[in-house]
Amino acid sequence: MFNAGYWILTLLLTAAAVAMLAIYTPEEATMGPIQKIFYLHLPAAICTFLACLVCFVASIGYLTQRRNWWDDLAAASGRVAVQLCSIVLITGMIWGRSAWGQWWTWSPRLTFSLILWLLYVVYLMIRTSIESPQRRAVISAVYATIAFLDVPLVYLSTRLMVDIHPTSITLAMPMKLTLAVWFVPIVLLSAGLIMARFRLYQRQRALAPPARIEPGHNGFQWAAGEVA
Amino acid sequence: MIASLRQIALLTGKDLRIESRSRQTLGLVSVLGILIVAVLGLGLGAHNQVAAFGATAVLWVAYLFSGVLCFEKTMAVERNDGVLAALLMAPLDRGIIYLAKLLSNLLLMLAVAAIVTPVGILFFGFDLTAAPLTFAGVMSLSMLGFAAVGTLFAAVISSTRLQGGLLAMMVFPISLPLVIASTQMMLRTFRDGAGPGMTGMGILLAFDVIFLTVSWLVFEWVLEP
Repeated sequence: MFNAGYWILTLLLTAAAVAMLAIYTPEEATMGPIQKIFYLHLPAAICTFLACLVCFVASIGYLTQRRNWWDDLAAASGRVAVQLCSIVLITGMIWGRSAWGQWWTWSPRLTFSLILWLLYVVYLMIRTSIESPQRRAVISAVYATIAFLDVPLVYLSTRLMVDIHPTSITLAMPMKLTLAVWFVPIVLLSAGLIMARFRLYQRQRALAPPARIEPGHNGFQWAAGEVA
Repeated sequence: MIASLRQIALLTGKDLRIESRSRQTLGLVSVLGILIVAVLGLGLGAHNQVAAFGATAVLWVAYLFSGVLCFEKTMAVERNDGVLAALLMAPLDRGIIYLAKLLSNLLLMLAVAAIVTPVGILFFGFDLTAAPLTFAGVMSLSMLGFAAVGTLFAAVISSTRLQGGLLAMMVFPISLPLVIASTQMMLRTFRDGAGPGMTGMGILLAFDVIFLTVSWLVFEWVLEP
């Protein structure tokens, strides 16, 4: 399913969405052409959240069932969540710079995006820091579970902060249509990236050298496959 | 229920007794906290008479870093002489082990806070006289949430060859709602003169309840010798 045809379709849809943006979508009254980055920004934000949700479900799946493919799915979706969140932050900063003259403010929405980014970047750092595959899977699954449960609390606590720059804009019908159209290639892209990574990790696992049994530090016999 | 409380008291008593005899953790962690406050004081230069609501920033940095060290050390104690394996073989619910570790971490962190906070007040001239109980209450609730998450993660990574800073990296982003909520509540109390606010309190309580429960449940799966 996620083969060349899928990617060609995604590419064509992206091209169509960009063309629509250039030709059909009207400019917003106050902010000018740079506002059109919003049509990338919002779908990317929604897909970030969906990727984080997939990571959460996969982590719970791994902790309950201890099957390796859950771990691969969690790793893949965590990575894509960071990539999408980076897009959200960068497009948000570009938009903010042109709309309010500042690259960064500590407003609730920006702070929330930043903390989300930090949470999942740390997830990736944890994965690279631990050598043993089994410990890595357990530790990153626990972290991803806690991180996702933290997200609503981050949202609520940032709501306490003063919102200097309200970012709600009213959308006319053509704009809503453009937004709906932009969702399709972004969702396809996100899902495709997650599945591509997932299959990569599955193949890496299949090709990995067979693990050896070694005595542990205290003289305990670790389980088969566990190095340290 | 009573048996569980007795078991928790036993395990916490063990940790605190070890601590009182070796005096490793409390001293080290307090000194680190004092050093951090000193560095921040020097870094802010001559104008370091920060208003009362700046207290949360300085103290949070000190608590976060010294807290992480505290959690690492209390778990490292279990690594000596195969203590952890013995503990896992004992007829104890693993959630009890978690609660006992949490209690010892919390008591140590409160002791460190009792040392570091006056130092901060001294160096920075924080004026907390307007609402001292609010400050103490907010920071204690935040400390509980921080210890809940830190104890879980410290146990989870204690069996790996530790990359330096891994625990800090894991705990800091998760604890950010505590930092944000307590800072906003302090701003409301000391700068604006209103109370701490029910929303902020709600967030702190929700954090504590959610993560205490989740950590207690998850601990079963993650503690390995």
